[in-house]
Amino acid sequence: MPDPGSYILLGAVLFAIGMVGFLARRNLIVMFLSTEIMFQGVVLNVVAFSRMHGRLSGDVYGLFMLVIAAVEAGLALGLVVLLYRRKNSLDAESWSAMSG
Amino acid sequence: MIPYILYVLFALGGAAIYLAMPKPAGSQKRAALVLGVSVVAGLMALMSMHSVAPNPNNFFFYMFAGIAVLAAGRVVTHPVPTYSAVYFAVVILCVAVLLVIQRAEFLAVALIIIYAGAILVTYAFVIMLAQQSGAVATDTQAREPLMAILVSFVIAGAIAGKIEQLNSVPVQLPDRTITQASDAGAIEAATESKSESGHTRAIGKLMFGPYLIVVELSGLLLLIAMVGAIAISRKQVPIEDTGEVRLPVGQIGREAPPF
Repeated sequence: MPDPGSYILLGAVLFAIGMVGFLARRNLIVMFLSTEIMFQGVVLNVVAFSRMHGRLSGDVYGLFMLVIAAVEAGLALGLVVLLYRRKNSLDAESWSAMSG
Repeated sequence: MIPYILYVLFALGGAAIYLAMPKPAGSQKRAALVLGVSVVAGLMALMSMHSVAPNPNNFFFYMFAGIAVLAAGRVVTHPVPTYSAVYFAVVILCVAVLLVIQRAEFLAVALIIIYAGAILVTYAFVIMLAQQSGAVATDTQAREPLMAILVSFVIAGAIAGKIEQLNSVPVQLPDRTITQASDAGAIEAATESKSESGHTRAIGKLMFGPYLIVVELSGLLLLIAMVGAIAISRKQVPIEDTGEVRLPVGQIGREAPPF
């Protein structure tokens, strides 16, 4: 098993890539896919920390994060469908009418 | 020394993502691929040089970590959302392998079932529901890619620099001291049971012991999310006036119209 530092570094890289996608892409679906990549980075981190301390609490925490991810995906995709029906477009920019 | 190599690698990786970002004029895919692969190779080489305990398993870690990073980069840069979802499945499978290497088999299997089996299928459904025909500006033009890459990789660089600082000192834990070469035996000690299904059994004991209330709460959370999703995405069907005489509730079914 590689040292936990490698896992934490990998988690940071995955988190950064997901953040780039969330900030830079305009398609709502791809934005939510990017948040899921950020989740993956954090799951890797949590398990690595758990191994560092020789415990299993991190694994259980990772399972609860899967629950949160499922909840988030269900609600977010429901919202995406709703927004698509309103504007007939997946562009996040089409909802910027209230920005100055 | 090592943090500066890391910063340079992050800068090059950000450049690779910038090149691969969808642009109206077309993205420089080949240059981005070459740059991205070399950055990932450099990152993995740096990690392997830094690793204190050489192990044949480490090869698999570097291989799948590299694939995961490359596929994640493709998820955020591919102009077609369907392909993004497919690359996301690759990321999930690689992360599952990395979890298996960390001896978290149950979590790995749960990850594949929930993500690749449930969440990704939901994404595919929504992509089919809301797919626009042809290439639209939403997908072919990124919004401020330079600023996004700058912000994200500065954060990643800060985290990496801090990790490098922490890596140089042995980790101090309350009960014992382990160095950064985390001992594999610690996991066996933590699982308490020496049976063949150690990890899964230990997780079950934890979940239905100290974390029982959290398990119940997550069930409640799923229920609330289900109700919320139904309420959000319900389609409003207008009731048309068909000209029929609407009987009051008590009268329905009392009188049959003549043939």
